Amino acid sequence: MEGADVMLRPPGTPHGAGGRRGRPLPKQADPDAPLLVVENLRTYFTLSSGTVKAVDGVSFELHDGEALGIAGESGCGKTTTALSLLRLLPANAKVVGGSVKLFGIDLATKSENALRRYRWREISVIFQGAMNALNPVRRVGDQVAEPIIERLGVPKAEANRRARELLELVGIARDRAADYPHQLSGGMRQRAMIAMALACDPAIVIGDEPTTALDVMVQAQILELLERLRERLGLSLILITHDLSVIAETCDRVMVMYAGRVAEEGPVRTLFRGPRHPYTQMLLAAIPNLESDRRLLGTIPGSPPDLRTPPPGCRFHPRCPLAMDVCREIVPEEVRYADGVRLACHLYPPGGDGARRPIPILEVTGAGAPGATTAPAGGPTP
Amino acid sequence: MSAAPLAASDLRGARWRLRLRNARQFVRRYASRKDGVVGAALLVLFAGLALAPNLFVGPLQTVTTATGAALEHPSGAHLLGTDEVGRDILNLTVQGARVSMVIGLLATLITILLGAVVGIVSGYLGGRSDQVLMRLTDFFLVLPTFVLAIVLAPIILDIVGTDAEYFGIRATLLVIIIVIGVTSWASTARIIRSQTLSVKERMFVDRARVIGGSRLHIMRRHILPNVVNLIVANTVLTFAGAIFTETTLSFIGLGDPFAPSWGQLLNAAQQAGAPGLGAWWYIVPPAVCVVVVILAFTLVGNALDDVLNPKSATR
Repeated sequence: MEGADVMLRPPGTPHGAGGRRGRPLPKQADPDAPLLVVENLRTYFTLSSGTVKAVDGVSFELHDGEALGIAGESGCGKTTTALSLLRLLPANAKVVGGSVKLFGIDLATKSENALRRYRWREISVIFQGAMNALNPVRRVGDQVAEPIIERLGVPKAEANRRARELLELVGIARDRAADYPHQLSGGMRQRAMIAMALACDPAIVIGDEPTTALDVMVQAQILELLERLRERLGLSLILITHDLSVIAETCDRVMVMYAGRVAEEGPVRTLFRGPRHPYTQMLLAAIPNLESDRRLLGTIPGSPPDLRTPPPGCRFHPRCPLAMDVCREIVPEEVRYADGVRLACHLYPPGGDGARRPIPILEVTGAGAPGATTAPAGGPTP
Repeated sequence: MSAAPLAASDLRGARWRLRLRNARQFVRRYASRKDGVVGAALLVLFAGLALAPNLFVGPLQTVTTATGAALEHPSGAHLLGTDEVGRDILNLTVQGARVSMVIGLLATLITILLGAVVGIVSGYLGGRSDQVLMRLTDFFLVLPTFVLAIVLAPIILDIVGTDAEYFGIRATLLVIIIVIGVTSWASTARIIRSQTLSVKERMFVDRARVIGGSRLHIMRRHILPNVVNLIVANTVLTFAGAIFTETTLSFIGLGDPFAPSWGQLLNAAQQAGAPGLGAWWYIVPPAVCVVVVILAFTLVGNALDDVLNPKSATR
């Protein structure tokens, strides 16, 4: 174990609860600040045909040792939100507003050069599709050692030793370090990516669809590994996925995004038991259910809006079966309720207890939609 | 995690075994290409001649050490006849292999080095650097080799003096090497750049950037290994081109009269009026050597391209 401890927390070190896992903080860090506070983040893409408001006013927090799931359809801004934290964006994308405070340090105002030292050191990424994120002509061990050499300035031999330990930590035999990516299976490549993400002992790991394109068994193994690592190393995790069951299994909190905005955010249990936003309800209704005998899955008719010209008012209103006149005109405010759920929907009056306005109950396309028949399930009804 | 001391030596052994296995696999795959094997055999033969010509035919004959009479027909004493001053043609041809091959090798080194660096830097950096480097490449791409050689050779020789020697290479030869290098790197740079453009869009390059790798690091560790197959295949073909150009330049009289390359021999034959005198044995040996070597390089180049290119269908 002696080698691993140099870099990784010893097992059993308490995490969360304001503790910083004993890892050194960046210089300007405020030791009492929350781990990550994102406020009103806006990221726009400039195309020849107009400006795409891919992320338009997203706020969220991440605390020590917490796992946050970001869910939503394709193209609703999940990945852009996460990659905006470190500005790992394509050339035509720009963070145009908002703040990203890591340990109280605002990363959104940092210059590209100043930001470089936070990349991978403080926030690392498990990329989608490990085969593409690994260089096919370099040995896996060398690639895992790369951030250790480049970021931490550790000598090569020492870095290679650590890389082998990291591979072992994620369940790859250390002699496979000499293999090339094509000699590993899909699951092992994803494990190697995870090892690489852990290389600098970052404060936050972003998993960008880490289980996509893996079969169900391997997917379960990878999720289990993430869970184990989170417990052992006290990682804070942001998990981006369109698979709600992955979030249900792994995350503490979930943030549902629609068309570049937060639709609903809250503790996984509360939100999954009693989804309030019609979009969340319909998303959950689209999950296959063993008990219900349906031939067809619930679907949400239509597709996400063109973000060059987003619809006025609530962005979901063209697809929302419960849309009211007010939804077409006024952008719903985000309101946080007593049970920790944050919601942007006109159906639920601000200042209320999270109960819906007295209007017709939502008939979701699928019959098995949780929370569809028992209207305000989530809120602590006094 | 406590088995580190055992693993270190084990790992090294595993690495070497892996390399050996890969090498064997490469040889087996290459050997299945008959044309490539023929080309390689020819190249080995000529490399042997170039490395130790004295071993095969004795030291280079000069006018004073000539062993025969003028323009003798091929015979037992002179297998390929003699030239106008009685030197053995076989001797001259074998000695010529050395000069031709050395010029080809050095010119190829310049070409590949310049081409790879310009291609990778231009392709990876993009933007303004790309523009500047590519316009420069365009300039050298359209530069006529012979005109440049004719203009450059006398100027350089006038500056350094005809007897100057650098690294044991006479200035005249150096001029030829530089001219070939300068006029042929541009196409290599274009080829490498195009491959770089495609490699740099791959995700592992983004990942390396996120990790914090510098541009130099990414170009060296991520781009270069991915274009090395092109570089190898291109090197072999460039070598053939360099020998061809050297022959032509020497033939039109820009070579070094004291260093008998094949082109220089053809030039001498023409000067001596060998075609008019029917002295075919003076012209054919160097000409055949040029053709065979270029053919051999082309065969090897194509075979390598097939074996190294992961997308090739024959694999």
